[in-house]
Formats: sequence, C-alpha cells, structure tokens
Amino acid sequence: MSTLIIIPAYNEEESIVSTVEELRAVAPEFDYVIVNDGSRDRTSALCHEHGYNVIDQPVNLGLTGGFQTGMKYAWRHGYDSVIQFDADGQHRPEHLADLVRRQEETGADIVVGSRFVTEPKPRSLRMAGSNLISALIKLTCGVVIRDPTSGMRLYDRSMIEQFATRTDLAPEPDTLAFLIKRKGAHVTECQVEMRDRMAGESYLTLSKSISYMANACVSILFAMWFRK
Amino acid sequence: MSVMLRVFLVICAVVVLAFVVRKIKKAQLSATGSIYWLLLSLGLVVVAVFPQIAFFFSDLLGVQSPSNFVFLAIIALLLIRQFNLQSQVTQLQTKLTALVQEIALRDTDAPTR
Repeated sequence: MSTLIIIPAYNEEESIVSTVEELRAVAPEFDYVIVNDGSRDRTSALCHEHGYNVIDQPVNLGLTGGFQTGMKYAWRHGYDSVIQFDADGQHRPEHLADLVRRQEETGADIVVGSRFVTEPKPRSLRMAGSNLISALIKLTCGVVIRDPTSGMRLYDRSMIEQFATRTDLAPEPDTLAFLIKRKGAHVTECQVEMRDRMAGESYLTLSKSISYMANACVSILFAMWFRK
Repeated sequence: MSVMLRVFLVICAVVVLAFVVRKIKKAQLSATGSIYWLLLSLGLVVVAVFPQIAFFFSDLLGVQSPSNFVFLAIIALLLIRQFNLQSQVTQLQTKLTALVQEIALRDTDAPTR
C-alpha cells in the first residue's frame, strides 16, 4: 500500500520547514508532496532549498484547487491512498499510521482524523457550526461524523479518482456528504489529537465563517442532489 | 407610454448599437456575443415604434402602466444575461484551474521511491 501525504501550502514560510521535518522524522515511510499554491512569501524557496518534493502552482487557486492538484499527482503516479495534511503544524504525523491502519481494518473509502471519537466536543461557536454540519450529514446520509470539519482525512484510490477527474470536489465536509450519498463511499473516523496552529493566522474570519457555513448548508441540502 | 420615453428608447437603441460596433471593431466582442445586444437594440426600437405591444403585455400581466412593463422586461433580460455570465465565469474558472494544475504538474518531477 503506497500512501501519499498531500500538504497544501499557501504563505506558510514560518511553519513549512518544521512541519515537513517533523513529518520526515516521525513518519519516514510515507511519500509526501507539498502543493505550493502560488505563495507570495518564501514557501517555495524554502522547499527547494531543503530539497522537498514540491509542486509549484504559478497562481493561487485556493485550497480546493491546490488539493486537487495533489490528487491529480497521486492519481497519475498510482498511489493507493492519500492523506490531506496541514502545513501549519496543526496535524500530528504520528497519527498518519493510525489512519492507514484504520483504513486497512475497515476497508473504508475515507478515514477522517477526528478529534471527537473518544474525546468530548468542546462548546464554542465554531463547534456549534461543526455540530450543525454533523446534523446535516446525519439527516441526509444517516451517517454520524463527529468531526466533519477536520482537515486531516485519508482517501482511498477510488476517492482519489473522484477528486482527480472531477472539477467540483472540495476537501470540505459537504463533499463527504456527497461522496457518501451519491457515490456510496464508506466513511469512518479515527481518533487523533491536534495542536493549535504553530504559525500564521486562521483563515476563518467571521464573514468567511458565515459563507463557509452557508456553502456547506446549500451544498448538502440542495446542490448535492443534482450533481452527477 | 409618453413620447419622451419612446424617443429615449430609440436613443438607447442607437447608443447600444454604437457601443457594439465599436467593440466589434476592436475585436473585444465576438459576433456571437453581439447577438444579444443587437436583439435588445432591435427590441427597444420595436417597442418605441409600436407601443401597443407594451400596452398588450401590461394588460395581460396586470402591470399598472406600459412603461412599467418595459422596465420589467429590461430587468428580466438583464437578469438572464447575468445568470448566463455567472455560468460562463464558472466554466472559465474550471478551465483556468485545470490549466494552472497542468502547468504545475508538468514542472514537477515524478516521485522518487
């Protein structure tokens, strides 16, 4: 089983080196690729200086486009599975093997690295949003996903094909709902711990949070049912 | 519909036509793209010359005055235009994304295992 770690990176000069060094030290058995999404800082330069495996996008496409580039790379080079991994240090590489093991045990198409399988969900505005998305997925797909917004997910070969050959799949919770409901994907969760961000600022401002939630709701309750 | 409004509609039609011709000369508008504007321009003239059309439809739809029907029709046409444009922008975005990804992937070596 070959697994590729996809690390989308946009302006991550403060954390990219520590993230990749930790990944290579803790989980050297995995191949990885950094997708530099048209960063304006030294992200690309640092990757090349250190000899990291990096794809440089000439312009910024956003997380969806960057992640899809990684998926196309994985698809073309025949990887069996892919794990999406944050460049900002939130994700812990020691859990990568857990996700792969969980996939092998369950045969799932997607394994979500979840913070809330055995741990309780804290009460906050952000978690209220997470709960709402969980409820929508439960309502439409009948599947419980406790941490739908987690950015650490494993996708198997059939899901890599979906992401690489379609143009409309984002690495977001509404895509989970779509893949479960319309593509018959089997999704399971695996307990992971996450750190607070080591560098940079969260991209979730109030207005972005609102449009993120609006997008998730419209996608799950409406658009999903008409997509092929 | 007042005479002033009818004259104004004809002037608008002429102005639209002038803009279309100018853009075609500069090759900033394709022949296909100009069809919509030519038809719009033509429609404005037709309504200005035969205001009975606006009377007929305003009666039919229960719109208070024929001029209101003219405004309604123009707004509706603009909304259709806007909807089509958003669809086209989305298609262009999809193509642009694919191109950027292709360039990025071609510039990257195969993984070393």
